Amino acid sequence: MPDYAIDIQHVVKRYEEHVAVNDFSLQVPRGTVYGLLGPNGAGKTTTIRMLLDILIPDEGSITVLGTSVRGSRVLDRVGYLPEERGLYKKMQVRRVLRFLAELKGVDAKTADRRIDEWLDRLQLRTAERDWGAAKVDELSRGMQQKVQFIGTLLHDPEIVILDEPFSGLDPINAQVLKDTVIHLRDQGKTVIFSTHLMDSAERICDSVCIIARGRKVLDGRLSDVKAGHGVRNVALALDGGPRDAVQAVLADRALVTRYDDQNQYFEVELADGADAQQLLQRVVAGGARIRRFELIQPSLQQIFIDRVGGNGATPEAASHA
Amino acid sequence: MRKVLVVFKREYLERVRSRWFIIATVLGPVLMAAMIILPTLLAARTRGSSNLANIVILDATGTNLGTRIASGLAAAAPDSKAPQVRSLAASALPAEEDSATALVMRRAVNGFLVLNDSTMAGTAARYAGRNATSLADVGTITSTVRKELLNLRLERAGINPDSVARLTATRLDLHTDKITDRGLESGGGMASIVFGYAMAFVLYMMIALYGQNMLRGVLEEKTTRVAEVVVSSAKPDALLAGKILGIGAVALTQVGVWILSGIYLASFGVQIVHALAGPTADVSAVHMPTVPISVGIALLLFFVLGFMFYTSLFAAVGAMVSNQEDVQQAQWPVMIPLIAAILFLGPVIANPSTTLAKVVSWIPFTAPIIMPLRMALIPISWPELIATLTGLAVACYLAIWVSARIYRVGLLMYGKKPSLRELVKWIRMA
Repeated sequence: MPDYAIDIQHVVKRYEEHVAVNDFSLQVPRGTVYGLLGPNGAGKTTTIRMLLDILIPDEGSITVLGTSVRGSRVLDRVGYLPEERGLYKKMQVRRVLRFLAELKGVDAKTADRRIDEWLDRLQLRTAERDWGAAKVDELSRGMQQKVQFIGTLLHDPEIVILDEPFSGLDPINAQVLKDTVIHLRDQGKTVIFSTHLMDSAERICDSVCIIARGRKVLDGRLSDVKAGHGVRNVALALDGGPRDAVQAVLADRALVTRYDDQNQYFEVELADGADAQQLLQRVVAGGARIRRFELIQPSLQQIFIDRVGGNGATPEAASHA
Repeated sequence: MRKVLVVFKREYLERVRSRWFIIATVLGPVLMAAMIILPTLLAARTRGSSNLANIVILDATGTNLGTRIASGLAAAAPDSKAPQVRSLAASALPAEEDSATALVMRRAVNGFLVLNDSTMAGTAARYAGRNATSLADVGTITSTVRKELLNLRLERAGINPDSVARLTATRLDLHTDKITDRGLESGGGMASIVFGYAMAFVLYMMIALYGQNMLRGVLEEKTTRVAEVVVSSAKPDALLAGKILGIGAVALTQVGVWILSGIYLASFGVQIVHALAGPTADVSAVHMPTVPISVGIALLLFFVLGFMFYTSLFAAVGAMVSNQEDVQQAQWPVMIPLIAAILFLGPVIANPSTTLAKVVSWIPFTAPIIMPLRMALIPISWPELIATLTGLAVACYLAIWVSARIYRVGLLMYGKKPSLRELVKWIRMA
């Protein structure tokens, strides 16, 4: 049996009115950056809360680092950054951080050393000012987010779970977060990302799992997922010329299943049996000047919309479970 | 357990470091000292105004009663101007009263006393004046009128005036002592009442204040969303336990500081009273009742159990609501029994042995406040005490059990306040 960081088996969580998570299974290999993708209300946060033993699944089992999570201390090796973030406002930054670290079993001395390292690293302690000595509510929102992030990592967790980590982050802090995630990965840590932003997931994740309406839609290595979706896409960039002639060609259902019109750029999905060369000829014949014509893998966004539907509705039941 | 300790440490240290705690802890003994010293000080101050005899006596009795009263009052208030006596016919009274009223308004005199036939009949006299609301002044005037009327009647009955003075001279104080299982205890009933009342009130204050403090703490964790971070590291039960113990330790620290400094200050009580009220002040009320160790332990248990009982319920309320607006309404079911306990203080002090007093001292909601009060007032049998403590301990366990369940579910629930039915569902599903 392979050694997974996280192994979720046939988990079900029901609420009064609906089933939040339905027969959900997921295996996350150690040392990967794993994206848990899905529209709002898909069951991502419920899954994460079950993973952290905050909620108890009605059925199924969850194993983290080889140990069942129910009442286990294995969760001291997991770091969690919730979507809804918060700190004790009236507390001194350093004391909040020490509290969070001690909750995870880090002794005060080690905690203090790591706190200083992180404060330096995220520039919360500079020659001019040591923000660690300030109260939390004296910090700007961006700084509070950094502090929260430090709190997630102080106990040097083997698994880091980030729930919608980019929501509300300014570009600079988002970059800091991305750099840190890469750094964690290089150290062999496992990072779980939950997000509905496909762009960031595509750039940062090794593997993804798409979840919608409490069910898994697909999962696997990002490259496999893309390959599995077939190289049926064409990137088409125009360099002037009549757009309407091009649009007329793209509207031909015998040739093109659908396309994403971004004015001078089109992402085109070819119809079954259609030939890309034929598409190229027809577009050129229509009088368009072409800057780029390339067979590409579909973007995660495309796959997501394809499989989940634009409104989050699942077009088909999960088959990968 | 380790996590309970971590939470405990945070709850304790953050509160003890706060400005509020330091101020309250320093001011506590000052208030407590005031509570001990004030009665004595008040007793010293209730001698009445020194000018109480500066009045007009309108005597329509046709006797020398007015003159007698005038000399009686002059003797009672030697520093005062002597009363002026006007003997007159009953028909002239209205006009004289008007002119006397004018004198009072001009501040020439303090007031006027009307003596007439009903005074002679021993039923009524009338006094009007600026000091008519002063209990001490009115008391002196009333007793002087009574005494002089009695003297007059005795003389008329043929008894020698000297004998009258001798026979009517009684000044009697009732000294009270309390008898407990250990025998006679000096210090008297009054000190027990003051002590019992003060203790019950401090218990109430501590439970109400720290209960609120707990509620706000839980609500803060919910509204700032710290709760989710924390419960991903510690079970809600450990979190709740750490909070209850931490806040409890803060309260005990505070009470400990108060008691120690209270005892220390009280040792200077006599000097303080003298400094404030002059060297002649009566210091008999400055007295600390002694508390035997066994009773002390029982008191501590009542405090600890009552505190845990109420703070856990307040924590549940905090977990139930999501915003400050809902707090007032949601906390009433917990506040009402607490306030009820305070309302029962009067009846229980008046008679701590009635069935009502017994019952409210047994019910877990009021026991933590009423039973210590009863213990201060009358001896409580050990079986009764142990039964009450056991009942309170069981209730405390149940309260924590229910609260932990509400807390577990409520901590991550946002939105509208749950109805009673939803709450029952929470307790079941936790």
